[in-house]
Amino acid sequence: MKVLTQAQLNEWLNHLAERFTLAAPVNVQGKLLYRQVDDSSGIAWGFERTDMSPKTWTFPATEPILIIEQGAETRLDDAPAPAPTVVFGVRPCDARGALAIDALFLDKEPSDGQYARHREATTLIGLACPQMWDSCFCTVVGGAPNSTEGLDLLLTEVDGSDGAAYAVQIISEKGEKLAAGMPGEEKGVSLPKPRLAKGLPTLPASQEWKAQFNETFWKQVTERCLGCRACTFVCPTCRCFDVRDEVVSRQPGRTVLQRLRAWDACTSAPYRRIAGGHNPRPTQHSRLRNRFYCKFMYYPDDFGPLGCVGCGRCIEACPVNIDILEVIAGVEQLAASGSS
Amino acid sequence: MTHSLPNPMKPHLATLVGVRNLATGIKLFQVKIDDAEVMRRFDYTPGQFAEISAFGVGESPIGIASIRARSEAIEFAVNRVGTVTETLHRLDVGDKIGLRGPLGNGFPMEQFKGKNIVVLGGGIGGAPLRPVVQTILHNRSDYGKLSIFWAARTPDLLVFTDEYDEWRAAPNTELHLTVDKATPDWLHKEGLITTLVEEVAPSAENAISITCGPPIMIKFAMLSLQKLGFASEQNWVTLEAKMKCGIGKCGRCNIGDKFICLDGPIFRFDQVQQFLESFV
Repeated sequence: MKVLTQAQLNEWLNHLAERFTLAAPVNVQGKLLYRQVDDSSGIAWGFERTDMSPKTWTFPATEPILIIEQGAETRLDDAPAPAPTVVFGVRPCDARGALAIDALFLDKEPSDGQYARHREATTLIGLACPQMWDSCFCTVVGGAPNSTEGLDLLLTEVDGSDGAAYAVQIISEKGEKLAAGMPGEEKGVSLPKPRLAKGLPTLPASQEWKAQFNETFWKQVTERCLGCRACTFVCPTCRCFDVRDEVVSRQPGRTVLQRLRAWDACTSAPYRRIAGGHNPRPTQHSRLRNRFYCKFMYYPDDFGPLGCVGCGRCIEACPVNIDILEVIAGVEQLAASGSS
Repeated sequence: MTHSLPNPMKPHLATLVGVRNLATGIKLFQVKIDDAEVMRRFDYTPGQFAEISAFGVGESPIGIASIRARSEAIEFAVNRVGTVTETLHRLDVGDKIGLRGPLGNGFPMEQFKGKNIVVLGGGIGGAPLRPVVQTILHNRSDYGKLSIFWAARTPDLLVFTDEYDEWRAAPNTELHLTVDKATPDWLHKEGLITTLVEEVAPSAENAISITCGPPIMIKFAMLSLQKLGFASEQNWVTLEAKMKCGIGKCGRCNIGDKFICLDGPIFRFDQVQQFLESFV
């Protein structure tokens, strides 16, 4: 396996930054976000879990999906193509999050053209987690701190003779292409085993969730939800969106508009409200329940993967301490008590 | 992943070729897609919808109100209730809009052949049912008795009033009108559509029903039909929801694990009853 010293990795990343848009975890006023870096010195080395997932690079929070020009004639054009991008330092859970979105946006017809362009333009370089951190539960939902799923390359920190070194696993064709010309040395190296969290619940199967849909448990667990949407915005698999138009420029006889899509959240009250006022999901408990059911029943039943990768960000982000692990444990308990 | 995937969120550019008032706050728009070849191939069945763009505001899912055999243009009845529909109402003949579609599943009109058909339309809910009525009238001998129950809150909100004479005159066809609140010149029934349906009491034998209206109307219409002996499997409903993409991506129209835009908007009522969540 190829092993890179920290200096070699820096050199390689600097080289990539010349050829691609290079995104990596950056400390932005105390928050760890995937941002474009000019070279490896901007990377927040030693980071644990980032505050936002790298989803922002393949499914941006807001982006144009259509350009509309109104003048003597009206023209409709696709939004500009995304630039070739390498995201470095992707945690294995987040790469599985990308696969979950792929299952709906790419595999389920009709494919989402704009998302496909992003995915095609983007290469994901993973960085294995040495351990599960507070709130991490990737192992509950089928992942692992060193999972290669969805990644193009996976780097694992190993003991070097002189500081940090990284062992390189090539996962995909795209990764192989990117790794051509990578510095480093071929070495026999054994990858360290990540430290796993203990005492986590077992995820009930989707039919168990189905059976508990009308339990009063949902009212209790969601009573304090503020509908702030933080959980959905930090989530690497949440993919609901809103669409609206915006004026780019307005001149006499010529107006340029863009149609934007922006992240949206099923946990907010106006999400389902139709013009005229009817809201088929009128209570906060029905809205938050939908988020959990989407992740653990609808998504796996309809598209294959679970809609949760166990990153734990929603646990950290929730201002009223709603804990998805407690929800999972609660459903597990209801199922065990045979109330189904 | 292929490189040249089309953008399913990109509408066809289309032109309004006709606009007329249909009822208070409701206009009928006749639309032609600018690309003649796309327009020629634009094939749709009753019950399907399209996402209509008012450029600068956004899109709304609107049921198609016409059939190809009767109308060269694609017709939409638009109720002015939100920002997109408000903007559409300000447009006129020659103005450009965007159109994506046809979307959704549509009514299985083939399967309805030979059956007696009971149609219940409430307010703007009559719009996606007009193609059902037109299809039956256009192929009159293929279907059994047609009983149309048409309702609105007030007489000025009834849609397609200029077509009632044709419907009444068609063989083996009845039209029953009612409004929640009559005006002095109203010659027909006053009261809820469910009351009228129970009064007329169409037979459930070899029949199916098709209902479109506000959720509360669907709920009570199903109870009335049940009283008349209609089983859930005989009742078809068309549901509406807020939608952004219309192609099962944006997440907005799910009821449990079903998407109204993809799995619907047409459902047999027994399917609706199995939804994990209530649709009302």
